[in-house]
Amino acid sequence: MKARFIVSPVLCIGCRTCELACAFAHAIDGKLGKSRIYPIDGGFKELWVPVTCLQCEEAACVKSCLVNALQRNPETGAVELNQEKCVKCMACVAACPFGCSLLDEQHELVVKCDLCGGDPACARFCPTKALEYKPIKGSPKKIAV
Amino acid sequence: MIRITINGKVTQASEGETLLKVIRREGIDIPALCHHEAVEPYGACRLCMVEITKEEWNGWSKYVTSCLYPVEPGLIVKTHSTKVIEMRKTIVDLYLARHPNCAEIQQLADEYGVTKTSYQTVVDGDNCILCGICTRICDEMGFHAISMVGRGHGKVVAPPLDEAPANCTGCLACAQNCPTHFIEFEDKGNSRTIWGKKFEMITCEKCGKTTITKEFADYLAEHRELPREYFNICDECHRRSTALDMGRIASWSKEVK
Repeated sequence: MKARFIVSPVLCIGCRTCELACAFAHAIDGKLGKSRIYPIDGGFKELWVPVTCLQCEEAACVKSCLVNALQRNPETGAVELNQEKCVKCMACVAACPFGCSLLDEQHELVVKCDLCGGDPACARFCPTKALEYKPIKGSPKKIAV
Repeated sequence: MIRITINGKVTQASEGETLLKVIRREGIDIPALCHHEAVEPYGACRLCMVEITKEEWNGWSKYVTSCLYPVEPGLIVKTHSTKVIEMRKTIVDLYLARHPNCAEIQQLADEYGVTKTSYQTVVDGDNCILCGICTRICDEMGFHAISMVGRGHGKVVAPPLDEAPANCTGCLACAQNCPTHFIEFEDKGNSRTIWGKKFEMITCEKCGKTTITKEFADYLAEHRELPREYFNICDECHRRSTALDMGRIASWSKEVK
């Protein structure tokens, strides 16, 4: 893991560019994919929280999958869903306590954030740097809040 | 790494991979109805048949189901040779006789130019092609709720003794992955019926949306060490509460600023 995805809700203005970027980045055959990121009202005035998968170390989705379709990509650190292995039982969708495993109704697929394979589109397009994909410097164990 | 030739193009494959996997990775489209990556290959539908040969075979070739055949050094594979197409046509022809009303089979028949079956049509047949994806996925997930019952003409997929299966948790994986959409189920209100068994669905505590069955959630909580509370609300309400939790934390740093 060389980089880390960082969400800073304080910087988010709720413009939903990330949502759009995600849907475009995950389009299939020219049809938009379901966004894996949602800026949601954080309960305070003008505070938005971009809610997306934070690739938990001990992930509920991975635990819930009975066919091992969810596996961590050691290069990006993202928990990736192997679409070919997925049996669409909805276990991960129901199990994720952050609601970041989703059903893409249009494509009839279960989807989750895969960090775009190492170059997240949401972070690339975020105008306020509320979403960043930063190289890890120094000790990789230190976790930024 | 193993070097093989597919339709004249040399390609690399790793040991233990099956031909079908390599063929599909090369972007070549060959039909396969009984194949699912979640389970072991089975070789039931016979549609992924390809022609293989090697230089040292002196012009001899054989026909194998690519889903089961592991790659070997020096294999020369033809996925669309005249003979292979002919064989696939015959298989589709047989399927069309057995399942004349199946949309997926009709589509395959269209693709392979089989307009009419040359065999006697089964009049009141069902759309189950006995590919075993449902039973194999059920086994793989650890439920063993359904299996193949009977032999020959009488072979069907059914729960034990044709009764509501005790092990079924109503996860719907069998129905979702059936290549011919034959397995029936009904989601009505907060109940789900499949294989003659009725399940109560979890309704989100906040918005009332139904998610998975209670039995499936209980199974996951028990066997996968997941807190049962995780399943009480739907994914959307989970996201909302995540936003509120993170918002609260973020608001502290705002005050600090």
